[in-house]
Amino acid sequence: MSASAAPWMVWGGIALVLAGTVLTGAAIGETRLPLATVYKVLANHLWQAGYPLDRIDAGIIWSYRLPRAIVAASCGAGLALTGVVLQALLRNPLADPYLMGLSAGASTGAVLVSVAGIGAGAVSMSAGALVGALAAFGAVVALAHAIPGGGRGNQGAAAIILAGIAGSQMFNALTAFIIARSANAEQARGIMFWLMGNLSGVRWEDVAPAVFVTCLGVGLCLWYRRALDAFTFGAESAASLGVDIRRTRGLLITVTAVMVGVLVAKVGAIGFVGLVVPHAMRFLVGTRHQRLVPASALAGAVFLVAADILARIIVPGQVLPIGVVTALVGAPAFALILMRGAR
Amino acid sequence: MRLILPAGLALLLGSTPLWAQTPAQTGATQYPLVLENCGKRLTIEAPPERAVTIGQSATEILYSLGLAGKVKGTSVWFNPVLPQFADVNATIPRLADNDPSFESVLAQKPDLVAVQYEWHVGPSGIVGTREMFDDVGVNTYIMPADCDTKDNSTGGDGTRVGAFAPEQVYKGITQLAEIFNVQPAGRTLVSALQATEAQAVARAQALDLPEGLSAVFWFSSADLELDPYVAGRLGAPGYMMGKLGIRNVIESDEEWPTVGWETIAKADPDVIVIAKMDRRRFPADDVAAKMDFLKTDPVASQMKAVREGHIVVMDAHAMSATMRSIYGLDSLSQALSDMTFE
Repeated sequence: MSASAAPWMVWGGIALVLAGTVLTGAAIGETRLPLATVYKVLANHLWQAGYPLDRIDAGIIWSYRLPRAIVAASCGAGLALTGVVLQALLRNPLADPYLMGLSAGASTGAVLVSVAGIGAGAVSMSAGALVGALAAFGAVVALAHAIPGGGRGNQGAAAIILAGIAGSQMFNALTAFIIARSANAEQARGIMFWLMGNLSGVRWEDVAPAVFVTCLGVGLCLWYRRALDAFTFGAESAASLGVDIRRTRGLLITVTAVMVGVLVAKVGAIGFVGLVVPHAMRFLVGTRHQRLVPASALAGAVFLVAADILARIIVPGQVLPIGVVTALVGAPAFALILMRGAR
Repeated sequence: MRLILPAGLALLLGSTPLWAQTPAQTGATQYPLVLENCGKRLTIEAPPERAVTIGQSATEILYSLGLAGKVKGTSVWFNPVLPQFADVNATIPRLADNDPSFESVLAQKPDLVAVQYEWHVGPSGIVGTREMFDDVGVNTYIMPADCDTKDNSTGGDGTRVGAFAPEQVYKGITQLAEIFNVQPAGRTLVSALQATEAQAVARAQALDLPEGLSAVFWFSSADLELDPYVAGRLGAPGYMMGKLGIRNVIESDEEWPTVGWETIAKADPDVIVIAKMDRRRFPADDVAAKMDFLKTDPVASQMKAVREGHIVVMDAHAMSATMRSIYGLDSLSQALSDMTFE
């Protein structure tokens, strides 16, 4: 993003890239469908063009792939933003949703539903994941505040990180315990798939909540961009610049938790995005949050849609968990960025 | 070590498989009985008096052989027991609905443990390895249907390296009858199953089903909209489809691969077979939930099979490589006779 570019050009460019990414996600999938079909389906839905189409082909593009691509983009953006916020607030380059115990809690919730049979088949795994994510987050925050000096200053940031590690370990152990105690092969496979992230169950009704929380997150991060800049110099420095540390940190972390809870509940625990995308973007656009927030959101969106496309086509006839792809593709790319940055 | 030909191969060569030749057709079992079972040589010194079963298939075969009195504990249940055994089954301890612990099996003081799946008792058995049972002097018999044409080292539900055939079930029945010295009961049961199979095939042939009729078997899904667990080509559902001249739209050799609805819808099968089970761990375990999904999902509802009501409900246990697979074949053939195809 050039510093001299007009804001409308920048946002216009972002919108174009996003639209292109989502359309690519709708065009490519497990089965081959002509590009013309993709166009005709969109034309039929967006301006009633009335093209005659095979109902299944049309359904695959409109009802399966398009919401999947939009949710993938939202999740990518949301998870990347979560990393941006946590890394700034906690001044820790390793901070991401995993560190806060959110993903571990979501996994425990999902496993409780599917393996231990909580809800007797009436509660979905995603509902379990949402409750688990929020419960874990609550436990981590409570633990952080219970640590002497946990609510204040740099010590507060350290306390949250330590509490997050403890919370993650506890919830991961709980998950392992439930699986070891009662999962059979079929369930273990289903859970593994879910723990590594899975977008195959996404439908239109999932789009609104995912897009809403992500837009809320982007808006809030942009609103607090200066506060986030200040936090990168430490809590005391932020306070001396007039930032209400406790209120700002509390608000941003709460929104982050809800965002991750909602997203993880939809698509499972996808690692790597929140950790790596913000770092990669700092190399490209610098550390100022005015640029870092939109750049990370956009890169996260593109990255996750691309990863989902790869997950669907790498092994013919089989869909890989998206978390496998994000790590396999993302890690070497990140290593390259690190090496170039070092030079 | 006696060479045992895979049943299917032996039949292909036009000879009777060795397991069907020994012992003498009408004679009693000669003890000690030595036989190969899933890569292990078993020596049975005397007819077992106390058996524990891990897997519904093994349980129902022992009941069918008239051996309920010797079954001291059961486990791993998928569906209600066959109705003719409901009363006797109620008197036998159920160690666990799912996987029993190693010690709960041993607590019944068994002299034989009959197992349906190698992933319960096998090289990485979650109940125990065969060596663990050997160490305490307990013989383990694994149903050949789970190992004769199957590689269980791939993890999960394993991978078929050859097609399941009912001969593998018959082999299991015959060997168990031999172990317990009840060969006439074994022969009677095998004959009855063969007759059921022949009747099912004849019924389907009389229907003159259209060329290229296709189907998919949906077992369950981790979550309703997620990629479902569907039957691969080589398991029991593959056998049923093959016998009735139906093409499986799933082209995987995995026993139960997860395949996306996009792929299934694009293949547009003529018939969908859905599993009915008592288990309620996933919402999709409920046959009503499966039916509801098929009718309301924007894409799945557009499939030919759904629009024309060609949905067959089948006991989940029949979809495993068991004696019930033959009953499943029969119920599928009956369901087809109630359908009309363009």
